[in-house]
Amino acid sequence: MNARKAFLLLIVLVVLALVVIACGPAATPTPQVIKETVVVTQVVEKPGEKVVETKIVEVEKVVTPTPQPEGPVTIAFWHAYNPVETEMLTKKVIPAFEEKYPNIKVEAQAVPYNEFRKKLLTAIAGGTAPDLIRSDIIWVPELADMGALVALDELMPDFDEYKDQVFPGPLSTNYWKGHYYGLPLDTNTRILMWNKEMYEAAGITEPPTTIDEFLAVCEKIKSLGEDKYCFADGGTYGWAVLPWIWSFGGSLTDPDMTTASGYVNSPATVAAYEFLKELLDKGYLHPGILGGGVDTSGGYAQDQIANLLEGPWMPAIFEAQYPDKEIQWALMPAGDGGSISVVGGEDIVMFQQSQHKEAAAEFIRFMLSPEVQLMMADVGQVPVRMDVTDEAVQKQPYFALFFEQLKTAKARLPHPNWPKIEDLLTSTGQAILRGEKGAQEALDELAPKIDSLLATD
Amino acid sequence: MVLNKRQQFVEIVFLYLALGAGAVVMAIPLIYMVSTALKGQVYVFEIPPRFIPREPTLANFIEAWQSNNFSLYFRNSAVVAVTATLVSVLCSAMLAYAFARFQFPGKAPIFYMLLFTLMIPGLMLIIPQFLLAKTLGLRNSLSGLVFVYVAMTIPLNTFLLRGFFEQLPRELEEAVLIDGGGYGTIFFRIILPLSQPALATVSIFTFLFAWDEFTWALTAIDVEAKRTLPVAIATFHGAHLTQWGLVFAASLIAMIPIVLLYASLQRYFISGLTTGALKG
Amino acid sequence: MNRALRQQQIRVAYLFMLPGLIFFLTFQIYPLIKAFQISLYRWEIMPGQASQFLGLANYLRAFQDPIFWLAMRNTALYTLVTVPGQMVLAMVVALALNRLVWGRVFFRTVYYLPVITSWVVVSLLFKFLFNSQAGLINFVLKDLLHLTPNYIPWLQNPGTALIAIMTLGIWKGIGWSMVIFLAALQGIPVELHEAAAIDGASRWQRFWYVTLPIMRPTLVFVLVMLTIGGFNVFIPVYLITGGEPMHRTETILTYMYNEAFNFLDFGYGAALSYLLAAIIFVLSFLQIRFLRRPVEF
Repeated sequence: MNARKAFLLLIVLVVLALVVIACGPAATPTPQVIKETVVVTQVVEKPGEKVVETKIVEVEKVVTPTPQPEGPVTIAFWHAYNPVETEMLTKKVIPAFEEKYPNIKVEAQAVPYNEFRKKLLTAIAGGTAPDLIRSDIIWVPELADMGALVALDELMPDFDEYKDQVFPGPLSTNYWKGHYYGLPLDTNTRILMWNKEMYEAAGITEPPTTIDEFLAVCEKIKSLGEDKYCFADGGTYGWAVLPWIWSFGGSLTDPDMTTASGYVNSPATVAAYEFLKELLDKGYLHPGILGGGVDTSGGYAQDQIANLLEGPWMPAIFEAQYPDKEIQWALMPAGDGGSISVVGGEDIVMFQQSQHKEAAAEFIRFMLSPEVQLMMADVGQVPVRMDVTDEAVQKQPYFALFFEQLKTAKARLPHPNWPKIEDLLTSTGQAILRGEKGAQEALDELAPKIDSLLATD
Repeated sequence: MVLNKRQQFVEIVFLYLALGAGAVVMAIPLIYMVSTALKGQVYVFEIPPRFIPREPTLANFIEAWQSNNFSLYFRNSAVVAVTATLVSVLCSAMLAYAFARFQFPGKAPIFYMLLFTLMIPGLMLIIPQFLLAKTLGLRNSLSGLVFVYVAMTIPLNTFLLRGFFEQLPRELEEAVLIDGGGYGTIFFRIILPLSQPALATVSIFTFLFAWDEFTWALTAIDVEAKRTLPVAIATFHGAHLTQWGLVFAASLIAMIPIVLLYASLQRYFISGLTTGALKG
Repeated sequence: MNRALRQQQIRVAYLFMLPGLIFFLTFQIYPLIKAFQISLYRWEIMPGQASQFLGLANYLRAFQDPIFWLAMRNTALYTLVTVPGQMVLAMVVALALNRLVWGRVFFRTVYYLPVITSWVVVSLLFKFLFNSQAGLINFVLKDLLHLTPNYIPWLQNPGTALIAIMTLGIWKGIGWSMVIFLAALQGIPVELHEAAAIDGASRWQRFWYVTLPIMRPTLVFVLVMLTIGGFNVFIPVYLITGGEPMHRTETILTYMYNEAFNFLDFGYGAALSYLLAAIIFVLSFLQIRFLRRPVEF
């Protein structure tokens, strides 16, 4: 082939490649607006009487068509399970599912928690959202509000069967403006993980039950040495500071989430921040709370940190990483507000962009089956099905304390603007702990900012 | 100047000592990275830190390569970098040839447009490029990376190659035309073979750019199977925050091709840097 | 040249440019225009939601946004520290290497190694070195040299975190400028220096009045390139602090990326990009305009 031909051929190839790619199959089918007739039952209040009216109305819905699966389909499932849990998921749970449903293949992808939200939003914006994710409970309202999620109570005819089987608290995190957008997968909270060896070295026999006792413990622990810390946490985000705020009797907003003024700057909330500042100033609290990361598990395992607030996944991690170190648990120390911790946990949610909604729904059903709930309990995931709790506690006796704490635990604000509120809360906490502002002053400044975020809906 | 002999000797000794001290400071971070990669997890945070690991082990390298998919990411990076380099250098050479040898309407505006994009931040375009990739169905595909890398390297490559082509003698080309050959023959048989040093230089820098590029790959790809090395290393660090030995083992694996390239083609690295600069 | 031949030449030229121009126009010029359009909107990415035209509101918002000014300050500070830092150190090394008889290639390679190491790798490496608990830097400062009584939480405080990031910037960049300077130094004719020496000029005077003026175009080129690079700082900040704590280490590009891909505010992100591009363009223009040629008296 002579040079000129080669050259022409090359141009043609480049142009063709571009054309082919430009005309290739679009990543997502176009959403269509369809008209649907539905029967609406509503309670109409007329002066003096309540009337239940049933009428037929036509509503417009945005629907992304789901092609019927022909042959095997693959669904993508993103999660932030830790390595131990991931192994259970990919080595046991998914193979069991694929055996039961040979036509469905599950592609599980681990995404680090810190990057999860950014990665997910990028994928949604780019039209390549996964079919399912295991979502932190605090992301569901935001995702539902932006229209990214499928309302499961509409998609799954058997939704109520699952709804009635799970604990109402975790279930409620899936509710947004009249619909359920997911089902809970697991629940958890943070309780006190205390270090027996350090307690004994400091001459303490019992874990603290109140915040005053906690302070007394810290004083003794500090006497063990400059590099010994009574407590450590990774930052001033909600997950870290809320147990203290609530146990002190404080809060972020009123119960209806309409205002923060008078709540986030109430004397009790201020007292909680001043308490944390005192811990830090006296050297009880590891400076890692100022950010930059602190290896809390490593510190606990090497007897440098005496107390953590941790979740039920820790025993499995310790078994893998620090098999010689034993973990002790106790309830969150109580203050004026009682012993109140923060509810965590994950929901499984489905995206509008999913091409295989039926197959994805099968996987949801499977993940909520008693068998899988118990399998995941083996690696420290507290089940959400009421009918398996007894068996789970038999497998993992320490779950009992978590169930106990969950009775009073509270959730972070189920509000679509929570990520922005938490960003402000974190910065404010940093300013207080660094001594740049007094707690009262900083929280007074924070209150109106949260107010406006609560209002813009 | 006789008196200076002794002075000169002292001065030279001083120079070597100072340069040596500087070299140690420059090299320590990289040496420490190598030694950490050879350590087991228990020795990573040892005080005092050791530059020679107590029980050196290749376990980190093996674990990164085998159980953490780094062989796959390595292949993705290689495919992307090699393809982007070939396409970019060829397209740039053709553009440069047109600028160096032909007169045509729009020549100056197009050339200034190329120069102008050299000045704008590459990251500035990430939002529209993201939307474009979505429209063209290029997200989660390696070709999406290749296209953007080609587009981002074309301006500089064209600029450098045009400078080189302009200095080539024209007599040979005229001879080809008289013999009835075409411009394609000139380009492939004369220009390209004569420009091997310049082509090597721009190829190296394009490869380096595509091999190390992070932000676009982070944004364009969300599936694990299509990750390139820089993104994989950063994500790996996010998932194993304290397992530095593993992170650095993965990093060193990613550095191997670059170091080999540098070791074998050092003069092109240097000449590439200096041609742009010295012409001013 | 006759008309037909000229027409043919134009056709050939366009044909040669075609493939490259397709890439360039599609993935550089079109996005450049599109970015400006996006910056004028409240840009919605979810299907079924209409974007809202805002005019220049996104730009005005930046001027009233304290985090934007913080990011601006950090970006400028990074540039002001790392550009002279790299250039001065690179010049010192280049001058020293230029006097060596043997070992030049060895030293050049050592100083150049950080340049060819990827930004991702060196960013993680410096995060490790500046670790607050058992990092090498803290060990050297406290346990080896006893310069500080305690370990410094480098990455927890905004000021010290920026120091770590700027140290990285200088360390990684020295080799690049050094190689260019060294080549320029080797291009200076020996006779010039000999003549100056005979005239009784001291070494310092020779550097100041002979070497620097000859190297002027090279110096301006390096200055312009490093300034552009400084304002574009992204990966080290993104990977080492992520802009934390309290957005105090945010730079323009990390803030832009965060607004775009963490809060899906594409309009504001695009506006931030355009502001940065405008700053870089003006600075480069001024540097070239006023420094390129010696001032005439």
